[in-house]
Amino acid sequence: MDALYLMFVDPFVQMADAPDFFLQVLWEGLVSGVLYALIALGFVLIFKSSRIFNFAQGIMVVFAALTLVGLYEMGLPAWVSVGVTLLVMYGLAMCVERVVLRPLVGQPDIILFMASIGVTMFLIGFGEFVFGGENKVMITEALGIPTGAIELNPFDGFVLIEEKDLTAVIMAVLLVLGLLLFLNKTAMGRAIRALGDDPQAALSVGISLSQIWVLVWFIAGVIALATGIVWGARAGVSFALEVIAYKALPVLMLGGLESVAGAIIGGIAIGLLEKIFEIYWGQPLLGGNTETWFAFILALVVLLFRPQGLFGERIIERV
Amino acid sequence: MGLKGILKLAAATSLVCSLGVVAASAASLYVPNLTYRTGPFAATGIPIMNGQRDYVEMINARDGGVGGIELEFDECETGYNTNKGVECYEKTKGNAIVTQPWSTGITLQVLPRTNVDRIPILAPGYGFSPMSEGNTFAWAFNPPVSYWDGAYMILEYISGGDMSSLKGKEIALLHLDHPFGKEPIPLFEKMAAAHGFKFLKIPVGLKEMQNQSAQWLQIRRERPDHVIMWGWGAMNAGALTEAVKTRFPLDKMIGVWWSGSDDDLLPLGGKAKGYKSISWNAPGDYAVMKDIRKHVVDQGNSLLKSSADMDKVFYQRGVVISAILVEGIRTAQAKYGKANIGPEELRWGLENLDITAERLKEMGMDGMFAPLKTSCDNHTGHAGAWMLEWDGERFVQVSDLLKPNREVIKPLEAEKAAEYARNNAPWPGRDGLACN
Repeated sequence: MDALYLMFVDPFVQMADAPDFFLQVLWEGLVSGVLYALIALGFVLIFKSSRIFNFAQGIMVVFAALTLVGLYEMGLPAWVSVGVTLLVMYGLAMCVERVVLRPLVGQPDIILFMASIGVTMFLIGFGEFVFGGENKVMITEALGIPTGAIELNPFDGFVLIEEKDLTAVIMAVLLVLGLLLFLNKTAMGRAIRALGDDPQAALSVGISLSQIWVLVWFIAGVIALATGIVWGARAGVSFALEVIAYKALPVLMLGGLESVAGAIIGGIAIGLLEKIFEIYWGQPLLGGNTETWFAFILALVVLLFRPQGLFGERIIERV
Repeated sequence: MGLKGILKLAAATSLVCSLGVVAASAASLYVPNLTYRTGPFAATGIPIMNGQRDYVEMINARDGGVGGIELEFDECETGYNTNKGVECYEKTKGNAIVTQPWSTGITLQVLPRTNVDRIPILAPGYGFSPMSEGNTFAWAFNPPVSYWDGAYMILEYISGGDMSSLKGKEIALLHLDHPFGKEPIPLFEKMAAAHGFKFLKIPVGLKEMQNQSAQWLQIRRERPDHVIMWGWGAMNAGALTEAVKTRFPLDKMIGVWWSGSDDDLLPLGGKAKGYKSISWNAPGDYAVMKDIRKHVVDQGNSLLKSSADMDKVFYQRGVVISAILVEGIRTAQAKYGKANIGPEELRWGLENLDITAERLKEMGMDGMFAPLKTSCDNHTGHAGAWMLEWDGERFVQVSDLLKPNREVIKPLEAEKAAEYARNNAPWPGRDGLACN
């Protein structure tokens, strides 16, 4: 009976007893979810246009953040450093397209996936060679990102909202809106979607494969930079940032690899649910640290019923 | 060049290489280090490994090595990955007189192999705490203190020397969910049962190191009286950031010695004032540091990015670690009357360390670490440690030397060592190695 009470009654009693704490849990879950969604978006964009599961997305986050901090440490003003970092990410996109992807056109997906692992290894080595492995401080204040906290007092309790978390959420929302506008309202955006929907048809109407690949890898680079700034502002910039990319995997399983909406909704859903589960069930009943596996279990359950993910496209091949 | 020419060139190259290896092995003692200058834990690994390396370089430059023979310090990169660590061990063990695995996970993996390969493990301040039991773990050494010593000394400090004052309190252990992070748990559980405090484990997964909001929400809900952190790498900076964010009083938070890196605290500056970390090396301007500056750093032979990093706790801890190794080599050389010792002789040296206060003065390290003495049944030395506090800019010493209580810890070491030997039977123990 105790176990049943702890599982089915106590968590809800706790939520009702300390509603301010519950709101804090929801806020933290939302922030985590938005950050997961940002990482997942990088994966989705590249997969959508080239069917490559980009293993390098995590290290791109590290590389972009390290470049930004490195340029600032060299004496460039913060926003000039952002501009130059974007140029570097564009250069990286061009190099990946020229050196890695172009020679592999028409090869099976698994070859392209392996190539993205190669890009990861190169960026790890190159990044460590150029920037070293030491922890660096994100230039949060130089970029004008506020670092204070807002204290709210609902239900006679308190909810703390870090201004940099709030900035991260706003930045992510703007980025996603911009991306959706770009994909839906511009010719280049439509070209990316066309390539994702039907590569042969898209190529036959004159869409340039190499141009689109450079573009999507560059956009993934922009997302990586945004991700690096917001994650780096939380706990410094180091190669440890790379592991956060793994948090995007269950988001992709849940939301579907081709869906921008799936990445966003999947990310936020996982962020919220894993936080609520950890606080009200994981910590009291399972000793905590359920965040390492909860999202994967949730995604697997979804896959049982929808193998293509919540928003993925169901592919029917007739033979 | 024809085929014959190529064959001749290959033969000549291999001959030169072989001669080089023979010459190197005859003229130096090979002391490899399984480092992690890359990967998620690099930020905390690099300063320590720089300190280790620079001390050895200084000994070579200033004294021409130890007892007239140079030390060949070599690094094999593991990225703190256990599998790579085992590969590095296998790759370097050939001519090595010691192995320094640099991770509790790697240490546990190579522990049985070193019995067979007959190479001593030197794991200062890390690894499996029962390795202190030299009669069971003849080839393993973890001076100057073990994790269980650290856990005891932190509780001693929190309680103000009176453990009964902990009764009814709640102490949380925020730990990396990894063999290193779990290592102190048996001691904490034993102390909680003995002294009536509530012990709460809060694990942090590797993927959650930089987003510990769930763990800190738990701390906000439970409101423990103290948080003890057993963190490493990016986990430390992540935890301190969250602690500041959730307004947890930092003077109620104490980290193990691997959670006391200046680099983790510098980004927080004054916000982290009051945070404490136990440390078995006290940072300062010691004579040995001047020698390292003169013979290595000023000569451009250090990997340090800035000479100011020499003042940091972790760099100086690396110096202490290599100093312990060098003392082990000296002790063995004195016993066996030869400079070119092998791993079995070094094992004896590490088992008979006697670094007195006078010897520390001679080494230019007076007060840098506590006098240390090992023996057959004490491979740790249990020398003691100090509490350091972050003053907003640097760590400063805020306690006298704290000492672990052997009466409490030794029975647990004996119990867990015996359990390990049973679970890994047939475990060789001392395997005929004489004591003395």
